[in-house]
Amino acid sequence: MISFQKEKYSDKEIYGMLHPLLRDWFKEKFGSFTEPQKYAIPNIHNKENTLISAVTGSGKTLSAFTAILNELIFLSEQEKLENKVYAVYISPLKALNNDIRRNLIEPLREIQLKLEEQNKGKKKEKKLLGKVSSKENKLGIRVGVRTGDTTASEKSKMLRLAPHILITTPESLAIILNAPKFKEKLREAKWLVIDEIHALANNKRGSHLAISMERLQRISPEITRIGLSATIAPIEEIAKFLVGLEKGKTRKCKVIEAKLEKKLNLKVLSPLPNLVDVSQEEIHRKLYELLDKLIQEHKTTLIFTNTRSATERVVHYLKDKFPEKYGANIGAHHSSLSREHRLNTEERLKKGELKVVVSSTSLELGIDIGFIDLVVLLGSPKSVARALQRVGRSGHKLYDEIKGRIIVLDRDDLIECSVLLKNALENKIDRIQIPMNALDVLAQQIYGIAIEESQKIEGVYELITQAYPYSSLKRSQFFEIIDYLSGEFVSLESRHVYAKIWFDKETGMIGKRGKMARIIYMTNIGTIPDEARITVKIKEHKIGSIDEGFLERLKKGDVFVLGGQSYEFRFASGMTAQVITAYQRPPTVPAWFSEMLPLSFDLALEIQKFRKLMEQKFKAKKSKKEIQEFIKTYLYVEDNAVEAIYNYFNEQFLFLELPHIKKILIEVFSEGQTRHVIFHSLYGRRVNDALSRAYAFALSKLIHKDVELTVTDNGFVLTANTKLPLEKMLKLVTSNELRKICVFAIERTEVLNRRFRHCAVRSLMILRNYKGRTKTAGKQQMASRLLISAVKRIDENFPILNEARREVLEDLMDIHNAEKVLQGIEQGLIETKIVFSDIPSPFAFNLFLQGRMDVMKMEDKIEFIKRLHAQIQERIKTK
Amino acid sequence: MKPKEKSILSNAEIIGLSLFFPKEKILVLTDLHLGYEEALIKQGTLMPKFNFDDSIKRLNKIFSEAGRIKKIIVLGDLKHEFGVISEQEWSEVSRMLAYFSFNSEEIILIKGNHDKILEPIAGWKNLEIKESFFLEKQKILFLHGDRIPESKEFNSAKTIVIGHEHPAITLTEGIKHEKFKCFVKGKYEKKTLIVLPSFNSTLEGQDLLKGKLLSPFLHQDLSEFELWLVADKTYFFGKMKEIEGFN
Repeated sequence: MISFQKEKYSDKEIYGMLHPLLRDWFKEKFGSFTEPQKYAIPNIHNKENTLISAVTGSGKTLSAFTAILNELIFLSEQEKLENKVYAVYISPLKALNNDIRRNLIEPLREIQLKLEEQNKGKKKEKKLLGKVSSKENKLGIRVGVRTGDTTASEKSKMLRLAPHILITTPESLAIILNAPKFKEKLREAKWLVIDEIHALANNKRGSHLAISMERLQRISPEITRIGLSATIAPIEEIAKFLVGLEKGKTRKCKVIEAKLEKKLNLKVLSPLPNLVDVSQEEIHRKLYELLDKLIQEHKTTLIFTNTRSATERVVHYLKDKFPEKYGANIGAHHSSLSREHRLNTEERLKKGELKVVVSSTSLELGIDIGFIDLVVLLGSPKSVARALQRVGRSGHKLYDEIKGRIIVLDRDDLIECSVLLKNALENKIDRIQIPMNALDVLAQQIYGIAIEESQKIEGVYELITQAYPYSSLKRSQFFEIIDYLSGEFVSLESRHVYAKIWFDKETGMIGKRGKMARIIYMTNIGTIPDEARITVKIKEHKIGSIDEGFLERLKKGDVFVLGGQSYEFRFASGMTAQVITAYQRPPTVPAWFSEMLPLSFDLALEIQKFRKLMEQKFKAKKSKKEIQEFIKTYLYVEDNAVEAIYNYFNEQFLFLELPHIKKILIEVFSEGQTRHVIFHSLYGRRVNDALSRAYAFALSKLIHKDVELTVTDNGFVLTANTKLPLEKMLKLVTSNELRKICVFAIERTEVLNRRFRHCAVRSLMILRNYKGRTKTAGKQQMASRLLISAVKRIDENFPILNEARREVLEDLMDIHNAEKVLQGIEQGLIETKIVFSDIPSPFAFNLFLQGRMDVMKMEDKIEFIKRLHAQIQERIKTK
Repeated sequence: MKPKEKSILSNAEIIGLSLFFPKEKILVLTDLHLGYEEALIKQGTLMPKFNFDDSIKRLNKIFSEAGRIKKIIVLGDLKHEFGVISEQEWSEVSRMLAYFSFNSEEIILIKGNHDKILEPIAGWKNLEIKESFFLEKQKILFLHGDRIPESKEFNSAKTIVIGHEHPAITLTEGIKHEKFKCFVKGKYEKKTLIVLPSFNSTLEGQDLLKGKLLSPFLHQDLSEFELWLVADKTYFFGKMKEIEGFN
């Protein structure tokens, strides 16, 4: 049962629960409790499962730890502190030390000092009586960190003297649960804290952790679970993920959604009032003037860009344009930089040596980054939750507001960010999706469970389905994985080679097989695939490298830019991509494509709703003034933005018509023989990915020709050199057929091959570490290529292959919401309207230009848009 | 005249993944790599074992088409592991040789680079392992193909038939691609050169358009080489240079 905690406790009530030492320390240090602490501490004190959702810097970590420390101090005082783990703290980040030092070790040290001070007085008395115990002078509460980097000697030390609070990662927890001796130290543990739970729940690491939590629960039935989350939705789902189920019912959980104590000072800024009829140089100049102005007005500014290359660019230009202002006081921080470089930047930031730091995503999570009074988002953060997470990095105890500025550079971005701003201010958070029934992770965990001890299979099924991501797991799916693990997919005589576990159908027992089982498990668990860079070559000549995720998107003939040159992709072979030079050809895939975060479905719908409202106004022939007034109040934007948004919609309305939540506009635009079919389907890239592949597949079957495909958040474009039977194509793709069509469409593609490798590694079909050797991503890929055709022969629906398909369709794409869109069309709730144009309509500019962007230099692009814009202006004048 | 789809030489035709000389009743195949799956398993990849059963199945079909055979020539790499004989290899090689001798009067094994210690198994069957085999009258030399020999037979040969390379071609359609094994015909110096695909169904083969080729016989311009692609049947695919994407 999930319930929301409505009332908060008073400082007095909370202080009343605390040990005098802790109480005094807290009073001195903070005076009062923060919002989340006022709700949470007493609950946790009462051993209730609790999920706390609040912004960073609101004292979340201490709201979990205060009650825990309190009990440990009481135990210490009564000399009842045993040699075992009381609290397990899980964080997705390996580099935890900073936060932990601040939130645990520091408080403990200060409380220790307090104790010593207090005892000084007492000691004198005791000395007179002749009794001094050194124990009295020690809190003796131990904190230990255990990650993949922990040395063997540290581990054996932990075994002798168990940390009372164990700090670890999801992966290390799974290892500990299989460590026969250390596991014993975890028996009857009292608290389990999951930090940054929002960053785990929506991926396979979360699936893995959810089962580990149940395994821990089995040896510590009384454990209290505490989740710490950024602002996130749907919060009930996260709560279910945190607590799991018992006997088919969700365990009890109190949810605390702490209100923002600080004012959210958020604005969308545009460097120029008009974003379409200006030169690139001007936009560029104005952008950096604006950035400089913002930076100079604040003490320390954090700028988020959406890609790593943009991070580098911004640093470069700021230094270049304002050499007297920016030099040593500017830092870059993104995941491609070395660990040392990043740590150095963090360190300088904390010391206040930096005026400005520019980051892509790497500073979004975790670590305390010190004093930041302004966060600038350059380009759309693509989801409300991410926007809040990013701007939440600003703020300081001394300030009572969180200050963020989103800078937009084109009209689509302007509308997207304005709607995002509205939702952020109205606290409408877009929902995340929790992957359900990931079979590869399931296989890995069942293997671990079987290694623990021989046991009844029914008990294992029960344990697994207690974890929320597996609560709907069918028995048939479970037994498919048991069959896989027990080698049922091969004939009896060779089964001993393939079976990882034994399963006795007579007795219903399972157990481990082979002496190597434990070591194989320990060295191969985890869910994060080995990252691989793909070397780009022309024959034997090396050009550079691209991300594997980028390669997944490429098809033969695609043109992309690398190091300022454009290349045509020919084929991939293992870890190399072969290309040929493509002089003066526009790229079909922008280089940052795989880095680009997809627009969230919920935010996309909100934008579509706004489009619908705008259409109503235009159709009702409201005056310009009335419509502008509406924009201003609805979107909370300033006059410049109002003007730009109005003009954009007005042009689209007059020239063609407005697509919106009830109407998908399909704009057919011909260039000579080439036909572009532009779907104005603003549902975000993940939904459009599924829809567009299905339509392209259907279309290519109808015309017996290849169809080119461009996908963006705002829609997609199908391109072919022939007449297109669009009505027929639309009829072929139905909500019932979508999954089937998409399964066909991704068969024998690079993306499925790569994802199969990840799934094969997770399910231990391919062991990344074996007999002291480590397989590189390249070796894994080679093995997986052979494996995928082999398992297809056994069964087209081999569970691990099906999991790879599920991952592509559900996690990478968003087939569920794509199905919903199609259902909407089928039920007549969404109209599909085919219209023809001889110039792409204003809303189609960016869609149409997507991809051409990198090669057509920014200037050409602007020229192109200016030219189209002028044509459209001319056309609509007469209307 | 025989259709181009099948006749790669005037006196030989393609059946499945093998080359058949009807007049002489000689069947040639290569690179079975028995034991390959076990080698993968030893490295920690749970590769299901198909190759043996699948090879026998395909051989049954070939024999039913070709009839009783006089000679089976295996162009090397009958087994996979270099230095050792694995359990799977020992059993599969013995069974395969027994199967061959049941269907053919004579078995000729040519030594491949993977066949370092084939002798113990082959010896048990009273078989000789040769570096090459020469059909005098037709002047056809059968070799593995990992190196270029210096012999009288080689000098006088008009046709060279090799394995070793595992030739294949990837066909692409949009974002989909699939690899197919193929037979290759071209020239080496002035001799006709035939390259057979691997008979092993687990191994996908080496894409002729990608990466470095192994055999020294193929370290040359291949644009005039002709291809026969093996899928549900054999398809003549024309010259390498005509294949889209080759440059």
